[in-house]
Amino acid sequence: MRGFLTAKGLIGAGIVMLVLAIALLAPLVIPDRMATAMDMRARLSGPSLSHIFGTDQLGRDLFFRVMLGAQTSVLIAGSAVLMSIVIGLPLGIVSGYYGGVIDNVLMRLVDTLLSFPALLLALTISAVLGPNLTNTIIAIGIAFTPFLARIIRGEALRVAQMPYVEAARAAGTTDFMMIVRHILPNIMPAIIVQGTISLAFAILAEAGLSFLGLGTQPPDASWGLMIQASRDYLDVAPWTALVPGAAVAITVLGLNMFGDVLRDVLDPRTAT
Amino acid sequence: MKRRTFLGSTTALFGTTIFSGALPLVATAQTAPVTGGTLIWGHSETTQNLDMHQTGTASTGRVLQNVHNSIVTVDKDLKVIPMLAESFEQSEDGLTYTFKLRAGVKFHDGSDMTAEDVKYSFERCADPATGAVNFEVFNAVDTIETPDDMTVVVNLKSVNAPFLSRLAENGAGVVMPSGSGDTQGETPIGCGPFKFVSREFGNKVELARFDEYWDGPAYLDGVTAREIPEPTVRLTGLRTGELHMINDIPADRAQEIEDDATLQVVKWFPLNWDFVNLNHTFEPFQNPDVRRAFDMIIDKEMLLEGALWGQGATTASPSYPTSASYDTALTQRAQDIAAAKQMLADAGYPEGSLNIVFKATTNYPYHIESAQILVEWFREAGVNLTIEQLTWADWLSQCWVDKDYQMTMMNFFTLWEPDFLYYSLWNSTGAFNYRGINDPEIDRLTEEARITVDPAARADIYKAVQQQVFDQAHDIILWFRNGSIGAQPGVGGLDTVVHPNGSNFNFHKVWLQA
Amino acid sequence: MAYLINRLMSVVLTLFLISIITFAVTNILPGDVAMMIMGTQSNPEALAGLRESLGLNDPLIMQYGRWIGGILTGDWGTSLVFKEPIGPLIAQKVTASALIVVMSMTIALVCAIPLGVWAAVHRDRWQDSTASTVALIGVSLPDFFWGIMLILLFARGLGWLPSSGFVHPVDDFQLAIRHAFLPSLALGLGLMAHLTRMTRATMTGILGQEFIRVARAKGLSEGTVVWRYGLANAIGPVMTVAGLQVGYLFGSIIVVESLFNYTGMGWLTYQALLNRDIPLIQGSVFVIAAVVMLANLAVDLLYTLIDPRIRLA
Repeated sequence: MRGFLTAKGLIGAGIVMLVLAIALLAPLVIPDRMATAMDMRARLSGPSLSHIFGTDQLGRDLFFRVMLGAQTSVLIAGSAVLMSIVIGLPLGIVSGYYGGVIDNVLMRLVDTLLSFPALLLALTISAVLGPNLTNTIIAIGIAFTPFLARIIRGEALRVAQMPYVEAARAAGTTDFMMIVRHILPNIMPAIIVQGTISLAFAILAEAGLSFLGLGTQPPDASWGLMIQASRDYLDVAPWTALVPGAAVAITVLGLNMFGDVLRDVLDPRTAT
Repeated sequence: MKRRTFLGSTTALFGTTIFSGALPLVATAQTAPVTGGTLIWGHSETTQNLDMHQTGTASTGRVLQNVHNSIVTVDKDLKVIPMLAESFEQSEDGLTYTFKLRAGVKFHDGSDMTAEDVKYSFERCADPATGAVNFEVFNAVDTIETPDDMTVVVNLKSVNAPFLSRLAENGAGVVMPSGSGDTQGETPIGCGPFKFVSREFGNKVELARFDEYWDGPAYLDGVTAREIPEPTVRLTGLRTGELHMINDIPADRAQEIEDDATLQVVKWFPLNWDFVNLNHTFEPFQNPDVRRAFDMIIDKEMLLEGALWGQGATTASPSYPTSASYDTALTQRAQDIAAAKQMLADAGYPEGSLNIVFKATTNYPYHIESAQILVEWFREAGVNLTIEQLTWADWLSQCWVDKDYQMTMMNFFTLWEPDFLYYSLWNSTGAFNYRGINDPEIDRLTEEARITVDPAARADIYKAVQQQVFDQAHDIILWFRNGSIGAQPGVGGLDTVVHPNGSNFNFHKVWLQA
Repeated sequence: MAYLINRLMSVVLTLFLISIITFAVTNILPGDVAMMIMGTQSNPEALAGLRESLGLNDPLIMQYGRWIGGILTGDWGTSLVFKEPIGPLIAQKVTASALIVVMSMTIALVCAIPLGVWAAVHRDRWQDSTASTVALIGVSLPDFFWGIMLILLFARGLGWLPSSGFVHPVDDFQLAIRHAFLPSLALGLGLMAHLTRMTRATMTGILGQEFIRVARAKGLSEGTVVWRYGLANAIGPVMTVAGLQVGYLFGSIIVVESLFNYTGMGWLTYQALLNRDIPLIQGSVFVIAAVVMLANLAVDLLYTLIDPRIRLA
């Protein structure tokens, strides 16, 4: 655990915990409607004592919006990554553990899907399903699945060739027990590391989708949507872009730092 | 803006365009027009189907105004005046119209315009198979005769009072070369001051000067209309000089651009009007009390301030503000959320029981803003409104064609001819009745207006239509919106750009300072 | 040779799978081609007739056969919104995008390699943490956010570069570069951050190796050691990663080109998606996936040339 006690580890973990705390607690502490309450007399007003992050074009308080927006962004990114792990895990394990024809077929499919840039895939799926919160999760989740399946397959393959696994197999352990007992615990670190890094990408993907109007819909507060709305007011009210932009940047930065350190600690082989 | 000041400003603003940034303008306006150069116009919307008969979008009509001419047109006082017909007359009984065509009018393909082309164009518009937006203009037409190459006689079966003034709209009165119908959708051809060169969908339309234009060639070599719906990009383009001219200055920035002495601004009123639509086939909206309650949830002044930064004026009458059918007596319902809540409860929709999807198009960013403001008020009234953002193509296909929506919002440009407005929008068979409105009283009135020749009596009928639309809350009429153009100092003749209908642009008399 | 044939066979198979996936996904899109063609004039009878004549009532497998047949024979169909043949349309837009992809890759590599090397040489000192922090911030900001900032600074603030539009290099080369510069920079900054991290990691590994220590012991100058021996060995892996980023770039151009109104492949794809131009969506999604796959293949083959060991595997 010593690896966490570096500046990078502490800052990364701190940011991740802070964002999680905001996402979980803000909706409990801040009344829901504070994010959408408008004040036409205080539109595009700069940071001040009454609005510490300023207000947007409809006089909505950016502090409350960015705090409540954390929930949306974290929910979408978290659910999407979880979804891609849930789908990618069985695919990857089966492929890596059994190998042979199954592996060939599955990985051919995964490789093909990897040829589609994740954002393009997510955009297309979102256009197919129609943009809303659930569909944004599904779109990003599916788009990230091939990547995770590939990683998990590699890990499963590596673990399956370990001497002790070979030994257990010789001792007649069933495939199911083998996967649960030996494979899963051994690939967990890699999944945690990749999951953390994917979270950072998912936050960015949500922002990109919402920016193009194919993600979260107004008046919900999500960081990507806030940046999109700020475009028209950039040079008169730059804070409307900077506040949500900084929120995205800090969160992704925290996740990347945390991911780096996690990798050093849990999965040193793949560390760069 | 209060009603009285609004009416005052209407007369002040209408007809004359208002300039600011006066100094550089005076300097440029005094210089004589020069020939040459291609004007780059940052157009706020994307053009759709380029067939003048089939297109229902103002964005397309705005550009095609330069490619086409119609048989007659209107002057600044909205009086019908000659265009491709150098004279026209109506018989005593109102059943026969005789048009004497202008000699020497050439189409872009070099051929001469003759009576045959006029007959072809009118018949194409009238033919249901064409799918023309304005087909019903020709409903009363019996025969079209061409006694000679320069004369067209239109015989009506019954009196159609708005017939002539509706021909002043390109949508109905446009003259296309005989037989060109099939190609109009992609390569429009007419006899206007500019030839259509090319279009890249969603990106730009290119026009080139037509040297043989009957009213003398334009100054500009060409016009490139770059389609930039993003207000900021448009504004930046103007500021950096990439664009010579933009239309629709974002409302929140209007003041700033007006104060900028290095840019010219043209403003006019009104550009168009907006309304909130309730789908009459959606069960709750079949009850007029529910519609009235919805009307009462909305504070129109506040919404105008919120969505358009006050760049417009609220109204309950959609008639052209200076036209006879504008009803000054009609006032909007004031916001009263408590009363609306009670009305909804009485109608069987207690708090929390109504879940409505509001479809708004990103083509008009202020519609998205409006929707977000509405959500707040409707929440106070116990109605759960959720927004679905649609692209322009999706809005047209879902709301306009399939009528698949519960609540939406749209704008129309104000036409001087009330028949187009009231018949198309509120008659149960109207071409623009995408709300499924079926009100026998309105049907009767709009039909009656068509055979009422006396202008004052017609105006009264249209006022009765407005009263009915308001009483039944068929739609929630919000406001007239200001039109605006921003341009570089080197663009001359800007005061001639805006067509009297407030929507179309014409670059015939515009020039670029070297 | 066998390896090459094998690789090519697998490319053909993957392209085939890409085409199936593209076709399947676009067939779930709401609305169909007939609806899009008729637009505001749709009515049930006319729609039914048009569907029949377009073959939309045929089984999917037949429709797919027709589509892939067209792709192979060069008939990609006609775009519903652009009213132009899709093949030439895409070819033209791919050129536009290629310009910014190449420019952003160049910008990224030119900045990332020195920065990464610098960080690796000064490992665990302030230079390293500075470079790493800059790189981390770079990857943490969405590229459209970079784009917005660049427009504000270079177009609006300083007025040096245009904020939108595309000019064909053949028409006016200098102007084309000026228009492509900001979108390329917006794309390149994120990529640069990523490649800096890559270079630093690879270089750190190499600088710790035996032959570097030997070189230093021989008294070679530090510059020679780092650049001649170190970087020469690091460049392969870094270029590989850069090649693999082509896929990432082709995803990002959708956002960045739309932001800058730069009419390339990303803009085209976005227009196609927005307007439900199904034939065009199929064409452009297929092309993007194919380009990404071929870029990865090229990287693979180059790597094989550089490193003969792979040929045996």
